Parts: sequence; C-alpha cells; structure tokens
Amino acid sequence: MWQAWKTGLLLGQQSGDVPQVGSGAMLMLVLFIVGSLWIGVLANRAASTGGFMKGFFLGNRGLGVWALALTATIQSGGTFMGFPSLVYSHGWIVALWIGSYMVVPITGFGILGKRLAQLSRRTGAITVPDMFRVRFGSPTLGLMSTLFILFYLSFLMFAQFKAGAIVLQLAWPGGGDLALSEDVAGISEWRYHVGLLVFATTVVAYTLAGGFLAAVWTDLFQSVLMFAGVLLLLVACLSAVGGLEQATLRSLANTGPGFVFGPGYSADGSGQQFLPISLAISFFVVWIWGGVGAPAGLVRLMASQNTNVIRKSIYVLSIYNLGIYLPLIVICVCGRALLPNLAKSDEIVPRLALLTTADWPGGSLVAGLILAAPFGAVMSTVSSYLVVLSSGVVRDIYQRLLRPQAPREELRLAAWVTMILSGLISVAVMWSPPEYLQVFIVFSTSGAAATFLVPAVMACYWRRATPAGVGAGMVSGAGVVLFLYLCGIMGWSPAQSIGAAGGFRPWFLLGLEPLIWGLLASSSSAVLVSLLTVPLPAEHISRLFDRRTSAEGEAV
Amino acid sequence: MAEESERGQDRLDPLVRSAFREAVVVSLIWLSAMVWSVGVSWWLGYGRSEQELRLVLGFPEWVFWGIVVPWVSCAGISWLFAVWFVRDGELGEDLEDADDLGLGG
Repeated sequence: MWQAWKTGLLLGQQSGDVPQVGSGAMLMLVLFIVGSLWIGVLANRAASTGGFMKGFFLGNRGLGVWALALTATIQSGGTFMGFPSLVYSHGWIVALWIGSYMVVPITGFGILGKRLAQLSRRTGAITVPDMFRVRFGSPTLGLMSTLFILFYLSFLMFAQFKAGAIVLQLAWPGGGDLALSEDVAGISEWRYHVGLLVFATTVVAYTLAGGFLAAVWTDLFQSVLMFAGVLLLLVACLSAVGGLEQATLRSLANTGPGFVFGPGYSADGSGQQFLPISLAISFFVVWIWGGVGAPAGLVRLMASQNTNVIRKSIYVLSIYNLGIYLPLIVICVCGRALLPNLAKSDEIVPRLALLTTADWPGGSLVAGLILAAPFGAVMSTVSSYLVVLSSGVVRDIYQRLLRPQAPREELRLAAWVTMILSGLISVAVMWSPPEYLQVFIVFSTSGAAATFLVPAVMACYWRRATPAGVGAGMVSGAGVVLFLYLCGIMGWSPAQSIGAAGGFRPWFLLGLEPLIWGLLASSSSAVLVSLLTVPLPAEHISRLFDRRTSAEGEAV
Repeated sequence: MAEESERGQDRLDPLVRSAFREAVVVSLIWLSAMVWSVGVSWWLGYGRSEQELRLVLGFPEWVFWGIVVPWVSCAGISWLFAVWFVRDGELGEDLEDADDLGLGG
C-alpha cells in the first residue's frame, strides 16, 4: 500500500489508492488557528497599557529582536508557495532570481531602520501617513499617502483571503488535490466557501483582539515553524535522492541544460527566457528596494524598541534567510530529480513532504507541519494588512478629518468596525474569486515601493525635500508602474519572451522591471520639484534633524 | 554659505549622522553583492552547453561561486557590520500621547 502510494507520487498521478494527508494537515491547521487565537488574547493584554492608538496599531513601540528580525521584511505566504514552483519549473537560475536576499537583512534594517524609528518618535507618528504629514507639515501629503496605502493593500489583502481559503479547502480530509495555486479545479465549491469563512473569522478575531502585536507574533510563530519544516525537508530530500550532486545530475537528465544554466529552463520549448541578464539585475533592485519601501515593513521599523534591537535584527535575519532560501532551492532541485513530471508545479513541496517522510516515525505530522505552514504565513500577512488598513482609516481619516476629539473608546470601536467591515468586504469580493489575482499582487508590491521608497528616504535624510517634491515623487512613481503594467496587460507593448510564463505580464521596457522605471521617475521628479519649490521653515526642519536638549526637548 | 553648512553639521543629531553613514555603506555593500553575484553568474553560467557543466559540492559551478559563496560572505559581513560598525543611539521619547493628534493635526 505505502509502496503503491509512493509510486503514485513519483508518477505524479491522482490514484484512488493514494492515501491523502488531509487529516494530518487539517490537524496542524486547527492547531495554528487555536494558537493564533491564543496569541491574540496574549497580545491584547500586552498592548492594553498606555494609549489605545500606540498600543493597538504600534505595539507600544516594543518590538524586540526576534519579532522585528523575522517579521519586518518581505517574507509572506507567497515566499513558501510560489517560489518553490519557480525553482521546479525553471531550475537553478531561480537562485540568481532570489540571490539579492543575501543582502535583504542589512538593507532592510540598515538603510532606514534607525532614522525612521527616531523620526516616528519625534513626530509622534503612529502610521506611515502620520509620519509624512508631520515631517512635511502637509495634511494633503498625509491624506494622499493614506489613499495610496488603502488602494495597494486592498488588492494584496483580497488575494491573501483567497489563498487562505484555498489552503483550507485543499487540506480538507480526502480533498485529493495538493496544489496551492489559484487555478485549482475539480474540488467542490462549498469547501472553498467554508474555508473562506473559517479563515476570515479566525484572522479578523485574533487581529481584533491583539491588533499590531497579534499580527507580529503570529508572523513570528509561523516563521519559526517554517524554518524547522524546511530544514527537516532538506535532510529528508537529500537523503532520498542520494546527495546534491545526484539531485543536480538527475534533474538535468529529466529536463535539459536550461535547468542548470541561465537564462533558465522552459518546459514548453517556447524559448521563453526566464531570467535574461537584464532581469537578473532588475531583481537585485526589486527585492531590495521593494522591501525597504513596503509600507507594512516601514511600520514595523517605527515600532522597534531601540537601536540595539535594530542592530541585532540584521544578523538574526541573515542566519534565517541563509537557512531558508538556499535549502528551499536545493529541496526543489531534489524534487525535479525525484518527481520529474508533476502536472502542477505548485504541488512540489507538499508532494515531497508526503513522499520523503512516509517512512519516518511521526512522519505524517512532519508532513502536516510543512503543508500547514503556508497557511500560517497567509494568516499573518492578512493580519498585518488588516492592522495597516484600519490604522489608515481610523488614524488618518476618522481621527484626522472627521472626529479629532474622539475619545479612546470611540477610536477602539472605530478600529473594530473597520476590521470587521474589511473582513466582510474581502469575503464578499472573494466569494466568486476572479481568476488571476497574482498580477494584482505583483503590481501592488511594485507600485507601493515605487510610491513610498523615495519619499521615505527623503523624509529621513534630505532637509531640502518639500511637500510638493515628495508628492510629485509619489504620483510619478505610482503612475509609471501603473502605466507599464497596463501596457503589458492590455497588449499595448511589443511582444516579449522574458520573465515567468503567464498571460498577464508588465511591459519590461528595455528588459527591465517596471519598479526600476518607477524609482527613476520618482527620484528625479521628487528632487527636481523640491529644488523648484519653497523649502520648509528652518525651525521645523531643525526640530526633526538636529540634536535636542534633554531638559526641554527643543532643538539647539 | 560654507559656514552656515558647517554650523548645520554641528547641530545635526549624531543619530541622523551615523544612520546616514551606515545607509551609504549598506548601499555600497548591496552594489558590490550585485556586481559579484550577477557578474560571476553571467560569466560562468550563461550560454553554456551541457558538456561544460562543472559541479562544486553538488552545486553547478556558477551557483557555488555566484550565489553560495557571496551569500555566506554577506551573512558574515552583516554580522561584522552590525557588531562593529552600527552605532547605538537614543531614539528619544514619543512627542505626545498618541491618542491625541500629532504635530500635523
């Protein structure tokens, strides 16, 4: 029976004799859900001291090393879902595609970390728009950044709701299919709907209870479990295939030279170049500066406890990234050797987990852990988006524009109503989900970075930056990325055979990613307009840049 | 003008100065990593045939020298940078009770 199951897996078949891991995965998911609700209660206690806004939306600026290091950069559900599929499909070249993660820890904390944490304290900022509003003395700029954040995060959050529902749907005992992709077919619709409701209720409930800290702590929880799961799977896969050399040679034999050389393997023989050198350079820019400029990451830097925490986070995250990404690549190369003809490349990690742990004592639990971890990642991602969204609505719109004198209880109620409404809207939108959400995720990530990176750097380091200049930087960065995506999606751009396969791709002007053009437009317009407009008053700038006396808190 | 600029530098908060210096160094590290990683990968790993495949510890040669070695080096550099180069500083207290509106309100 077990041998037949393994053979079935090796052939990538859906056989009636193939046992499913559904009960193991479901058990782990239930544990995740219970654990997350418990974390929400703990976070509620921790955040209840001091003012509501700072406690609920910023965790009282108390993030320690582990919480900051493992949750402030750009890992999300997609890291452990889409990425393995790319390695299985295109081969070793994906190591270069993700290679910039070698410097993500040092750039993520070393470029803006210390200064942003200081600036947010000097301005009393709770949110990113708060920081822009006070730094540039411009309510218009604050409102503009709120609207941009609400726009991008809505797309991102809807997509994550769908992903969460799909994971629950697939882990249903006897569910059969293992893919985590968007185009899962043949599974009953009611499971998706039940999954969507369970997912939405859970994530809204614990975020409602614990706010920012609940989002951060669940993120930390899944990051640690994922680390353990990946290292276990690495040992299991290398042992099953007979070492890395065997894995590389067998995967090469199962595919072609593109699997071990650039620009990457293409199974359909269409000549599609996954990573020409222009895109390799692009992704070294995209992952780094996209991470530095992401609004959810900026908020976590604002919440860090002190500079010592930021400093230590650099090397904690360095070790974590080294232990996650290179092993994941090795695992998926082993996958191509062990399971050469998977119909759906998204299935590679769950199938390897089932195959390689089948003979282990307690192997089903290990497989369950590996299958369930992406669910935790999706939950924590949604949770952090919920916090940023509701802080935008409550702080930057309700309190700023509608009810400046609102008492603490009213603000709390407004935050809860916003989160519940966000959950209900997400469920309604995703009840009949649109087919291709991935393009919106990529667009929103690139768009948010093109909008906020240059303004955030200028806010921190350039005294001469003006509100008009920074506003121009936001609009031009966002506009250029939107234009290049529209060109690709609407077919206005010339035919291109680079990048990942798929129908919805941006226009890679001169072979470069849209974010690069967005950043060029944003930085040039922000500098030019700043130099052409009246500088901010010297006293205002001095209060934010110069040393202060401890006695009076004034600039000297 | 130059005197005014010098006075501005004198007044500048030490944390702003050290944060800017660290940001410049980090940007140079990022640039060096990119040149090394993309350069070596392109040199050893693009436009090759199956017969030219050489393995180092099971990795294709270009992956080992273009990704694994710089990745491990960057982890070491990150540790050195965080321990020896980054300066701790006082972030300061929050300006006000955040339930009230900040300066821009």
